[in-house]
Amino acid sequence: MSASFLLLAAVLTPFGAAILAPFLGSSLKARAGLLLALAFAPALALLTQLGPALAEEPLSATLAWVPAIGLEIALRADGFSLMFALIVAGIGFLVMAYATAYLGAQERHGRFYSYLLIFGGAMLGLVLADNLIALFAFWELTSISSFLLIGFWDSRKASQDGAVKALLVTAFGGLALLVAVILLILAGGSTQLSLLDIESIRQSAYFIPAVTLLLLAAFSKSAQLPFHLWLPTAMEAPTPVSAYLHSATMVKAGLVLVAKFGWLFADTAFASIILYVGLLTLFWGAYLALRQQDLKALLAYSTVSQLGLIMSLYGAGYPLAATAHLLNQATFKAALFMVVGIIDHETGSRNLSRLSGLWRKLPLTFALALPAALSMAGLPPFGGFVSKELFYEDMLYKGWLPITLAVTGSIITFAYSFKFLSVFFGPLRSENPKVHEASLSFWWPVLPLSLAALLFGIYPLTLSWFTNLAAPGLGFEAEPLKLYKGLNLALILSVLTWVLGLALYLLRTRFIAWQQALTPSWNANTVFYALSAGLERLAQGLTKRTQGASFATHLRLIWLPFALAGLAVGGWFLPAKLTPVSLSFAVAALMILAGSLGVLLARSRLSALLFMGLAGFSSVLLFVLLRAPDLALTQLLIEAVTVILFLSVFRYLPVLKRHHRRRSVAIFDIILSLGVGTTVFAALLAVQTPIGERIKDYFLEFSEELAGGSNVVNVILVDFRGYDTMGEITVLALVGFSVYALLRLRARASSGKIEEERPDDD
Amino acid sequence: MELLLPFLAAVLIATGVYLVLSKTMIRLIIGLSMLAYGANLSILLAGSGTELAAPPLLTVEGPYVDPLPQALILTAIVIGFGTTALLMVLAVRAYQAAGTDHVQELLDHPDLLPPEGVYADPEHPSVSPEIGPDTNNINADEGAASNGAESKAEEEKA
Repeated sequence: MSASFLLLAAVLTPFGAAILAPFLGSSLKARAGLLLALAFAPALALLTQLGPALAEEPLSATLAWVPAIGLEIALRADGFSLMFALIVAGIGFLVMAYATAYLGAQERHGRFYSYLLIFGGAMLGLVLADNLIALFAFWELTSISSFLLIGFWDSRKASQDGAVKALLVTAFGGLALLVAVILLILAGGSTQLSLLDIESIRQSAYFIPAVTLLLLAAFSKSAQLPFHLWLPTAMEAPTPVSAYLHSATMVKAGLVLVAKFGWLFADTAFASIILYVGLLTLFWGAYLALRQQDLKALLAYSTVSQLGLIMSLYGAGYPLAATAHLLNQATFKAALFMVVGIIDHETGSRNLSRLSGLWRKLPLTFALALPAALSMAGLPPFGGFVSKELFYEDMLYKGWLPITLAVTGSIITFAYSFKFLSVFFGPLRSENPKVHEASLSFWWPVLPLSLAALLFGIYPLTLSWFTNLAAPGLGFEAEPLKLYKGLNLALILSVLTWVLGLALYLLRTRFIAWQQALTPSWNANTVFYALSAGLERLAQGLTKRTQGASFATHLRLIWLPFALAGLAVGGWFLPAKLTPVSLSFAVAALMILAGSLGVLLARSRLSALLFMGLAGFSSVLLFVLLRAPDLALTQLLIEAVTVILFLSVFRYLPVLKRHHRRRSVAIFDIILSLGVGTTVFAALLAVQTPIGERIKDYFLEFSEELAGGSNVVNVILVDFRGYDTMGEITVLALVGFSVYALLRLRARASSGKIEEERPDDD
Repeated sequence: MELLLPFLAAVLIATGVYLVLSKTMIRLIIGLSMLAYGANLSILLAGSGTELAAPPLLTVEGPYVDPLPQALILTAIVIGFGTTALLMVLAVRAYQAAGTDHVQELLDHPDLLPPEGVYADPEHPSVSPEIGPDTNNINADEGAASNGAESKAEEEKA
């Protein structure tokens, strides 16, 4: 199998499976996840493409998208992209398997797996994309699938709010990315990431705005200060989603962006900005994580913090340490989220203040959580220790402020990691008295992740294997990682971290009380809500000021000047000579008059619709008489379809009640409609003498020559004005979807008031 | 002819205007259709006048009437149908949901007002639905942050 085929299959298969998911979900329920997880197999099969050749020449594949304007989906797998793709596919596979045990029998499985697979495909596309426009498209697609997954339990207000907040923040970043990408294409002279001209971008006037926007995108996606606010509330999502999107993969998209564009920031002021934003996020996330009582909230803030750590390393130009920690974080955090899902499921609570001593009842879960949590704490011999040592070493080069922030953040990290583990220690307390160990299908997906957290520490060459893979892609020296490198300053700082971290853990009650006292009355969340509420108030106020009156009153105001104009010029334009009226026109005229009068006076739904039809069919007749055969045919067809539509919804239509207008209003409306009619009449008389050249000759002359059609009306529609018709078809398609959706809603709303209101004149 | 056809267009439009100002949903929709008939006729009259030439089919002998207004109207007819279809189905749904076909009552319906905010609490994510009622709210012995706006509607899902 050729490499480029495999690359395309890796990205496209999850999307294909996402289409299948609803069908499999309705028949296989939760178990569909195991089958659908195979959609990640092509991505995992990319493993077979690894080899020394990869460093020389990355895999690539191209799929034409809109070739006319140079748009194509170009995929390019250098070592770093490939490594990340393996994380996405591997954890995606495990999460799908985990979800089969997590999801209850009543959930909408098809929809869940479908969203998850769309995300998987989009994420693979994002890391493997070489075309910048495709990169942006995949980026947005991950935001949208994240929105759908956070709001998966869509009847809950909190889920709705969390989903909307995440979408607003990340879509804001997406827009920034779009502009950045366009600027980079303009300055770099290519739409391919790999072909961008670095020097001309750096020289260009677009350099600063492009990089600023790129960083905004990366910071908002990767939840850096002050955009971190969306990640904790994204925990409203089902736990498999939190494990996959909101800790292991999607939130790392910002890091991927910074890593891939590393050459752009290197040795500029932007590198320091990324460094300090990352370090502050590390500190602040850890600070907030420590006081959480909810296990999931604790992990959410911890994720914010860890993302800050990795961001600072990529920004400061230490891709080795960053990549190593990225791998560690992906494994231990996904494992910990899955453990929380198990605890939640088995005990019915995630509240730290009501859970303890669980190792007695959940020994296996405890065994799985232990390496992951200790890796997070940075203790040897676990993976987190290896990358944290590198982190310290690198920060020591950066001066006293970075290393202070790094150590402080790590001390708190150590403390909250132990706080997390405290659910397992102490006397047994649980909401559910009959706690028992999770089933095999629940815990086996956690096993590889926990093993990895251990293996990366005791045998760091496994971790090196991944970082070596990434090395040529990010342009750093591949070097073997070691657990123990001798006594150096970084190790001393680590020991200090453990000692102070343990002290902080033991004193945490007092520390948290102190934190509570210091909490300001505002934070990123309150600012966000104040801004969004302000925007809503502004919109409402504006609407009220400009459109406060009722719908009818607005129309009256609009039509009044129109009517007055007609009344003023009255019969000014009466033509000098009149031709006699032929009989066929007289018939059409009578039908229209009857139709109009009938519609006005109709007392029932059916007669109103019939009279409307009469007016419609008489306009068909008029079109025939006025030499417009195409219009007559179309109108005839439309009248027929309209009748069918009306009859199909007829029994659901409300009985034609008359909500009478007040007498004065009715008189005003009559005069107004007569006025509007007069204006139309006067205008039509006025235009009977043409004032300029008509353009019809052009169409008549060139219809056959340019478009090869003799029905000029049709030629105009499909050729001369083809884009208009395309727009029209789009509108009709949207109407079709909306009507379908509305009718489906009706079919589903089967209870309560709606039933009673249905008229029973079937 | 010169007076009759403009008069018919004017009648259709006047009827449409009066009906669109109605308070009843169905009459409003029918009014829009009548307005569309009148407008289409007006465009045709304004475009090709009332002189009678051959239809714009090059297979017959000229002179021809102006094809451009016909093309515009053809689009308008189809779009008009789309509007009517959507409005009709929407009217039925609105009537079923709100129990009224009064235009202004529908606009003022309480369900259309923006909801009072229930926000996601970053420190207390909701509990998964199959796990049962949220027990965070009862009390918290370790003096954690107060349970802000926990949604009461959590059990709705079941």
